[in-house]
This record gives sequence, C-alpha cells and structure tokens, in this order.
Amino acid sequence: MSGQSTWASGPSGFANRFFAGVARAATHVGEHAGQLGLLVWHIGVSCVRLRVPRRDIMRQLYSIGIQSILIVLVAAGLIGIVTSQQGGYQMQSQLPLYVMGSIVVESVILEMGPVLTAIVMIGRIGARITAELGTMKVSEQIDALYSVGRDPVEILAAPRVLAMIISMPLLVSMANLVGITTGMISAQYTLGLGSETFFYGARLFWHSYDMFYSLMKALVFGAAIPLIAVHMGLRTTGGAEGVGRTTTHSVVFMTLTILVLDAMFPPLFLN
Amino acid sequence: MSISGNGSGPVIEYRNVFKAFDIPVLSGISLSVEDGEMVALFGPSGTGKSVLLKTTIALVTPDRGDVTVCGESVYFGGGDVIERIRRKVGYVFQYAALFDSLTVFENIEMGIPEDILKRMSAKEVAHRAWEALDLVNLEPQQVLSKLPAELSGGMKKRVGIARAIAGRPEVLLWDEPTTGLDPVNTAAIERLIKQLSDDLRVTSLLVTHDIEGGLEICDRVCMLEGGHLRFCGSPEEFRVSSDPVVRAFVDREAAAVALDTLEIS
Repeated sequence: MSGQSTWASGPSGFANRFFAGVARAATHVGEHAGQLGLLVWHIGVSCVRLRVPRRDIMRQLYSIGIQSILIVLVAAGLIGIVTSQQGGYQMQSQLPLYVMGSIVVESVILEMGPVLTAIVMIGRIGARITAELGTMKVSEQIDALYSVGRDPVEILAAPRVLAMIISMPLLVSMANLVGITTGMISAQYTLGLGSETFFYGARLFWHSYDMFYSLMKALVFGAAIPLIAVHMGLRTTGGAEGVGRTTTHSVVFMTLTILVLDAMFPPLFLN
Repeated sequence: MSISGNGSGPVIEYRNVFKAFDIPVLSGISLSVEDGEMVALFGPSGTGKSVLLKTTIALVTPDRGDVTVCGESVYFGGGDVIERIRRKVGYVFQYAALFDSLTVFENIEMGIPEDILKRMSAKEVAHRAWEALDLVNLEPQQVLSKLPAELSGGMKKRVGIARAIAGRPEVLLWDEPTTGLDPVNTAAIERLIKQLSDDLRVTSLLVTHDIEGGLEICDRVCMLEGGHLRFCGSPEEFRVSSDPVVRAFVDREAAAVALDTLEIS
C-alpha cells in the first residue's frame, strides 16, 4: 500500500488527528460539565431534604475553616506587605503618598484577598479532598458506602462543599483585614505614611459595594473549589498512581477555574 | 441457560448478564442462588467474578440483562428497590474497605440501615456492634475504639464481616474474603463464613480463589471462565469433572498441564 496517504500521516492525517483531538477534548469537557451539574443537583437535593449530617458539617467546618485560619492569615499578611511595598516603589514621587491607602485597600479587597485565599485553599483543602475521596474510591470505601445504603454525596461531598461555602467568606474577610493592616504597617515603616493618611487615601476611593464584591467572589470560589475537588476525587481510578494523577489534575483544574471565574467578575459585576 | 439449585426459590437470580469494559467480561451469565444456599464462584483472575458480585447490589451496572434479589429487579425497579435490596444484602469486600476515618464501632454502626439506626438507642447500637464482633470472634473491648489502621489484615477482614452482618442481612456476598491471609487465618475465616451462614441462615455467594476451602464449605460451586459459566454443580461433581479447565483448578499437576496446553482467559 506504499504511496497511499494513511490516517496518521500527511496533511489530511494531521487534520484528522487535530479534529479527533478537538472532539475528544469537547467530549471530555462535556463529560466533566455534565457530571459537575449532576453533583450540584444532587448536593442541592440532599440539602433541601435535610439529608446532610450536621455532625459531618461541623467536623468539616473545623478542618476546612478553623484549621486554615493561620495559613490564610500568614499569606494575607505577606500579600499586604508586598502590595504596599510595590505600590510605594511605583508611586514614589509620581502621586501623593495617601493614594497608597487606596491602592492597598482596593487591591486586597477586590483581588488579592479572595484570589490568594482561594489559591491557598486549593492547596490545603482542595487537594486534600481529592486525594481523600480518590483513596476512598480506589480502596472500595465508596462502594462500601453504597453497599450499606449510604449516599457518598450526602455523607462525603455535601458536608465538605457546605463547610467551604460557609468558611470562605469568613476567611476572606479575615484575610482582607489582615492584608490591609499589614499593608498599612508596612507603608508606615517603609514610606513613612501615617495610619491617618493611609485611611484618608483609602476612604477617598472606597465603595461599600467593594466589600460585597469581595465576599461574592469568596462565595463563588468557596463553592467551585470543593465541587471540583469532590468531582475529581469520585472519578479516581487506578490505585495510588491514579490518586496522585487525579490530585494533580484536580489542582490544575481548580486553579484555572478560579482564575477564569476571577476574570469573569469585573465585566459582570464592576462595570 | 439458567443454572439453578434445588431449594424453595431463587433469592438471587442473574438473568443473561452482559458486561464489557474495554473487553467483554461477562457474556450472558445466568445463575440462580436458592434460599439458604451457599454457592462458591471460582475462576481465573480477571474473569469478572467480582464484577458479577457487584451487579447484585448495583455497584456495577450490566450492559444487558438483569439481576433479581428476593424477586425484585435491581435494574428495572428504580432507586427505592435498590435501596431496599441493599438493606437485605451484606457485602464483604476483598480488602475489607473499612472507612479509614471511623473507629471499628462507627464502621459497624454504618452497617446498620439508616432508618433502623435512627430508631435504636445508643445502648442497642452498642449491643449490636458487640454482638457482630462476637460472631466474628473478635474481642469487642479491645477493638471497638480502634481505627482500621491499628488493626492487622485478618482483624480488618473480620471487622469488614462484622459490618456486613450488623444489618442482619438475608444475603451475604463475599468478595475473596481470604485473599492475602496466611493459611491459619484463611481457615479461620472460612470456618467463620460457614458458621455465619449456618447460624444466621443467610444465602451466600462466595467469590474465592481458595478452591479447597470453597469446596469444603459450599453447597454448590460454579466456575466462570471467558465470560461464561463453564461449570456449575456440587463440590463432588467439581472434584471429578473431566473438563480440563476445571481439572486445572482441582489439582496442581493438571494446572501445570493446562498452563502449557490450554488458553485460560
């Protein structure tokens, strides 16, 4: 059959491979979207029917919310310092120093607080949820739950998602507060900007809506992270290697989703 | 062809079950397990024995065919029927599949159907857990508060069995309960399976690679090979079968011959 163009070679082969790849990717995306939709529906129904164990929600609130406070606040504190320092470096001798107050407050509340808290939570909680559920899946614990008549979505997924939705706005609020405080202290020491001047600048460009916007982001990110983590965990196959692979995919999936959602917020809610 | 036992009526009935993953695994399996009967399912690794077991309580959905448990269709009955069937069936997993984050007591508690559990007092639940552990020859006081990670392999299997029987099932499905155990523990678990089946008068389907053990404790044995039931009969019939694949499972010499001459899938 020499001289004949095969499926795998030549320009038509490339086109075939390209379109086959696109079709595969589209199927994959559709599959994820469909399964995520079903998961959201299932969790919603479980919540409405009050089938989610309160004890498990409290446990998850402790491990997701309380135990994340320290790392979130450390990250927020550093973000405040960096924002203040870099802002000071860029603005020096160009703008009045009190503008720094606005830059720090607005950057932290609108962007840094929610997004970096979400990134920290992806690493601390999202990866853990995927690895935990993935291990349960490959070790037949999920099957065991079904076999004893329990629904893994009610027992495992819903408490984690609810706990994260409740925790994220609180964590972001704390992160915002700490970020602004460290930003202010940093501005005081490095730029000689007093707290009164800092807050004068902050008030000049302040909109109360910004706080709502920040919490709205927190809420959306707080729902997206555990939903993806649970979804990926319950899809895990292939033993320990599969758990590792799925966790990596899950972290990438969560990070990209947060960044895409973040990019969608300004056109939808700020303009 | 449906292969059934001689009891009063089938408690589990597989009707022309087909299942394929990348390749066909089950190609039209029909098998009945009668009330109170104990059936062993033998076969080479990867022939779908566990898959068949999982179709009984809808952990795996067949591509075609149906399974009935106590006369109710698993795949045409809807969610409520599946829920009802799962309450009647205790499933013992190959590696116990204990919930890592829960203690032995909480694991056994999970084996009790939710609605029954809600009606039970704490004392009754504790009594039920105690009773289940007692039946599997574990000392309740020593293990109740332990996490699965603190137990040996044999103990985990026993706790897995205790969880399966805590809900007082009518049917017990055993997925290779002796895999990975030493001969002493294997014999102990087999004796336990027989004792539980007799004491609790449950219908049992046992997937195992321990041919001698299975032949000793079961009323009937079946062999799954190449997606089909190759043999179904009494342990005595199995022992004297002239089928080379069956022979390969009965004695080592035949197994060695089969290795060279037969293609056992």
